[in-house]
Amino acid sequence: MSMRSALLRHTTVLFLLLAGGISMVLFSVKYQVHDLEAKYTRLSGELEDERRALHVLRAEWATLNDPKRLEELASQYLDMGPIAPRQVVGPDAVLDIPLREIVFDDTKPSGEAVQ
Amino acid sequence: MKRNSPLQTEIPFEALDPERIRMESARKQALDQGRTRLLVTGVMFALAFVVLGGRLVELTRHGKDGAPKWQAMSTSKAENPVVVRGDVRDRNGHILATSLPTQSLYVDSREALKGGDAAEAADKLIGVLPGLERKKIIDKIEGGGRFVWIERNLTPDQVWAVNSLGLPGFGFRREERRVYPYGPTFAHIIGYTDVDGRGISGVERTFEGRLGNQGENIDLSIDMRVQSILHEELVKTQKRFNALGAAGVVMDVNSGEIIAMVSLPDFDPNKPASALGESGFNRATKGVYEMGSTFKLFTTAMALDTGTVKLTDGYDASEPIRIARFTINDFHAKKRWLSVPEILVYSSNIGAAKMALDVGAKKQKEYLARFGLLGASDVELPEVGSPLYPARWSDISTMTISYGHGIAVSPLQVATGVSALINGGVMMPPTLMKRTGATPPRGERVLEAKTSVAMRSLMRLVVRDGTGKNANVKGYLVGGKTGTAEKQVAGKYEKKALISSFVGAFPMTNPRYVVLVVVDEPKGIKATYGYATGGWVSAPTVKNVIKRMGPLYGFVPDRRGNEAEEAPGHPLHVPVSTGPKRTAMVNGNVHHAAY
Repeated sequence: MSMRSALLRHTTVLFLLLAGGISMVLFSVKYQVHDLEAKYTRLSGELEDERRALHVLRAEWATLNDPKRLEELASQYLDMGPIAPRQVVGPDAVLDIPLREIVFDDTKPSGEAVQ
Repeated sequence: MKRNSPLQTEIPFEALDPERIRMESARKQALDQGRTRLLVTGVMFALAFVVLGGRLVELTRHGKDGAPKWQAMSTSKAENPVVVRGDVRDRNGHILATSLPTQSLYVDSREALKGGDAAEAADKLIGVLPGLERKKIIDKIEGGGRFVWIERNLTPDQVWAVNSLGLPGFGFRREERRVYPYGPTFAHIIGYTDVDGRGISGVERTFEGRLGNQGENIDLSIDMRVQSILHEELVKTQKRFNALGAAGVVMDVNSGEIIAMVSLPDFDPNKPASALGESGFNRATKGVYEMGSTFKLFTTAMALDTGTVKLTDGYDASEPIRIARFTINDFHAKKRWLSVPEILVYSSNIGAAKMALDVGAKKQKEYLARFGLLGASDVELPEVGSPLYPARWSDISTMTISYGHGIAVSPLQVATGVSALINGGVMMPPTLMKRTGATPPRGERVLEAKTSVAMRSLMRLVVRDGTGKNANVKGYLVGGKTGTAEKQVAGKYEKKALISSFVGAFPMTNPRYVVLVVVDEPKGIKATYGYATGGWVSAPTVKNVIKRMGPLYGFVPDRRGNEAEEAPGHPLHVPVSTGPKRTAMVNGNVHHAAY
């Protein structure tokens, strides 16, 4: 009988400890979650701001990318014109490019080709 | 002794009377019942915990998919769009119309009056928003309404300034403002919205449901770069020839996609007030015009397709046709027998009229209907005009319609019809929506493939040797047809008021794009020797568009020159014939060709 009551006592203590431990963990997790939630709210708020900014910037980009504006700027600052049809060539145009002369460097023993 | 206390544990034998035993058993029964209940409850709790555990495992493994709704809501907040209305984008994803979040100022006049004098508040407001009218503002403040707009869509600076006044009863509401980054360039395609953000015209109106309610983005078939080129060239042409207006269409011949579409005069959709009157009118789709000689393409195509003529046949065009009170004459008169290619190249009205008469009114009507010229265009715009043609299709109608008089169609219809002539003979309905590769476009066959091949070489011939020379871009094998029609003013044709057009396509060996330019009432200038015809006004515009558009799409010019095309065996070679083969009945008399 006494052995049984001792076991019972040990179990009670064990469970009390466990319950205490778990409630400690629960307590800290709860606060962790609370902090994370606060962080989440802040971050999603920031995300929302960024997305709004992105949306406005995209519209601004479109305005700045107006071909007419670019053309005006290009004629003002660049020394280039639109591509003329004669400047567009097909793959067979490669054959028309003259070959570069290959010079052999005599100073190197193996006689490697140097461009 | 007979009745002992029930609490007594040791029961003497003599106490075991039947009544007592029954009572003991009732107690045991109650105890058993209690145990059973306890067991059932225990099992139920255990099951509940098993379910909870299972749910825990499920949530850990599958993330938020299985989470209840309130949790999903808090995460989906991040996916809420910044603005409600969707964007309109071009075929490469460039934004053509978008909405920006803004703040609008309203007044709750009961609150405002509690705060003090209306005139004082109005003066303060005008101090930061100078555009307001003092009297109107005072009326609004004193009006007694709980929600009256003062000014819509303020800039952040203005919002800050109004807030710093600290006026009671004034508040802001978040709104959206529609923005069109390219201004007038896309005016008639996209249209615009009213102050509450509802589409009023153009694509904004057509797709109001998808843009407004569902917040979807719309991808158009338009290419922003080509649209910009076409717009710029048309504006130049309109100014150069001091024209009333102009319209242009660039279309993909194989898919029916509209790559660019411009109508002048235009407006800035950012300022909807500028869309009132003439400038809001879409000449490319709503305007219908007698297109003139560009119709000879349709006449020739139907004559070839029905087998009425061959490329080597021809008609006598030495004398004008006199029928009833009409005289059909040639502008570029050759006064001789003309072969079918020559009728197109020299744009002979006499030849086209005889050819149409030879085909017959019934066939002509059937073919024009096939080319979509007798019904309104089925394009995704609310502004579409119906063609005008005679209810009674007489022989005179047949003849005049053969060269584009007596029938009025929209420029878009001509571009669509010409696409069908040269893409192998398949009529593709015009569309403003980007076609994706997943759904191959389906068209209706309207011509035999070999007729289409012949039309390509004929159109090329017009630009190589005929009235369309001004549209030639070296190496791009441009083909086309000029058109010059006199406008009807008060029922009479006006010699000075012309509709000058040119419909071009390139490269004619395998046509990809049709470019159509129509100019309304151009005035001849010195550089064109006073001419204001399609070949002088619109052909150079088409040339400029193709010249700039070709390199953009990486078209490699064919450097072999005209001699290569004229050689037999080249796909664009047109056989030359000098002898008459066909005759046509006009006025009951058979007009034989002169040898």
